[in-house]
Amino acid sequence: MPSRIVAFNLNGRDVEVMVKPLTTLQTVLREHLHLTATKSGCRQGGCGTCTVLVNGEPMLSCLLPVEDIAGQKVVTLEGITPIEGLHPIQQAFFDNYAIQCGYCSPGVIMVIKALLDRNPNPTRQEIMDAIAGNVCRCTGYEPILRAAEDAARRLQSA
Amino acid sequence: MAVQDYFLPKSLDQALDLLVEHGPSLLVMAGGTIAMPLINDGVSMPEKVMGLRHAGLNTIRRDNGTLVIGATATLTQLGQQDYIPMLQEAVRHIGGWQIRNMGTVGGNLFAPPPAGDLAVALLALDATVTLASKKRGLRTILLQEFFTGFMTTALAPDELVTEVRVPLPRGKTGYVKYARKHANTPAIVTVATHIVTEGNKVVDARLALNAVGPHPIRAQRAEKLLVGLPLNAENISLAAKEAAAECDPSTDAIATDWYRRRMTEVFVRRVLEHLVEQE
Ligand SMILES: Cc1cc2nc3c(=O)[nH]c(=O)nc-3n(C[C@H](O)[C@H](O)[C@H](O)COP(=O)(O)OP(=O)(O)OC[C@H]3O[C@@H](n4cnc5c(N)ncnc54)[C@H](O)[C@@H]3O)c2cc1C
Ligand code: FES
Ligand code: FES
Repeated sequence: MPSRIVAFNLNGRDVEVMVKPLTTLQTVLREHLHLTATKSGCRQGGCGTCTVLVNGEPMLSCLLPVEDIAGQKVVTLEGITPIEGLHPIQQAFFDNYAIQCGYCSPGVIMVIKALLDRNPNPTRQEIMDAIAGNVCRCTGYEPILRAAEDAARRLQSA
Repeated sequence: MAVQDYFLPKSLDQALDLLVEHGPSLLVMAGGTIAMPLINDGVSMPEKVMGLRHAGLNTIRRDNGTLVIGATATLTQLGQQDYIPMLQEAVRHIGGWQIRNMGTVGGNLFAPPPAGDLAVALLALDATVTLASKKRGLRTILLQEFFTGFMTTALAPDELVTEVRVPLPRGKTGYVKYARKHANTPAIVTVATHIVTEGNKVVDARLALNAVGPHPIRAQRAEKLLVGLPLNAENISLAAKEAAAECDPSTDAIATDWYRRRMTEVFVRRVLEHLVEQE
């Protein structure tokens, strides 16, 4: 079967890619478009580091055939990072030591972004519930929770 | 061998046509949270795949006294209805946020144990499953009859699940998933129950268990034991022992069969005690 062209909106820009059947959004982002902020961890749905927002909803790009999201809006970590400096959530992660090896960070930050978009002032429990699908082997999560709380404060006072 | 073709039908009709045309070489998937990991790993190497995300089967509506859930409604969608709070509770205990955004209600009926944490709640509520095929049209069967064995169901090769229908519960419901962690974790045992009482006696009882059998199962001996009796500490304890005796757990990386059986007794007891406390 020949490849197909799939068009979608990525980080505010319309893109078109040519893919083989069942190519995942993760493969398209990393290998076709060379946007490598979205990581590849387990490709089993278990680690969450490949999380992107599809129409604002956190989804696992490793399990998502790109054809399924044709015409839809995808936002990756590159999409929220300003040209200069960092997004307030990124800055809060940096300042609170919530990034050690950093492999989980792109996924966790996208989830926190989706959470704060819906709920600008989440409780600790709500933050824990939100990141339950993201594994971090370094931080022990405590710095991530602090960073998320700090990010909420920064965004509210901004 | 790489996947040769991927179909995304825009309607149930198109999907059923594709199923007839391609036969068993076509792998069906909805949210892909079970199917895609296997494909990524090379454990499953389908020639052709059909995705149901755009087949128009994802609405949730109330029809008289019944909640009608489209097969491809996501777990997140189901968590947003509030006609049946037990189903919201079940959804909260499945995967993480991303899995709930992708995984579907229909897909959960095919999840091998210890997954099936929604299906067990549907089983306790006497849900029915609607199956569609090109040749025979629609048929509706009890979810209990849908499960036939470990990773086998009553679904015929030319059929798709289109809907799950759940009658609004008449009695009290309870749900508990016991696992090693609080969230995003496989079950050691999941218990879902629906108990109807009249006066102080139980007139109808459903006690469904997951992760302690080849598929979500009903503890029918324990259910029978409760009918006609008051729901008190003594009867609850007898029912919990019976449920533990009749379940059929196996050992995996999460727990041994011995531990699962012990915990079945503990958590059946706790769920039922909790129902009494609600009074
Ligand atoms: C990290 C992780 C955590 C998880 N945690 C849990 C958990 O806590 N509890 C739990 O119960 N599950 C869990 N799961 C399993 C899974 O996500 C859920 O069971 C989900 O509901 C499956 O739905 P799906 O649509 O994604 O399935 P899919 O992968 O799309 O489907 C699986 C199979 O079901 C069949 N199928 C699906 N829909 C239809 C249909 N409409 N008609 C005919 N056949 C169909 C097909 O054969 C298909 O291959 C987890 C999975 C992952 C990866
Ligand atoms: S790479 Fe997608 S969840 Fe791990
Ligand atoms: S910082 Fe290393 S995995 Fe989270």
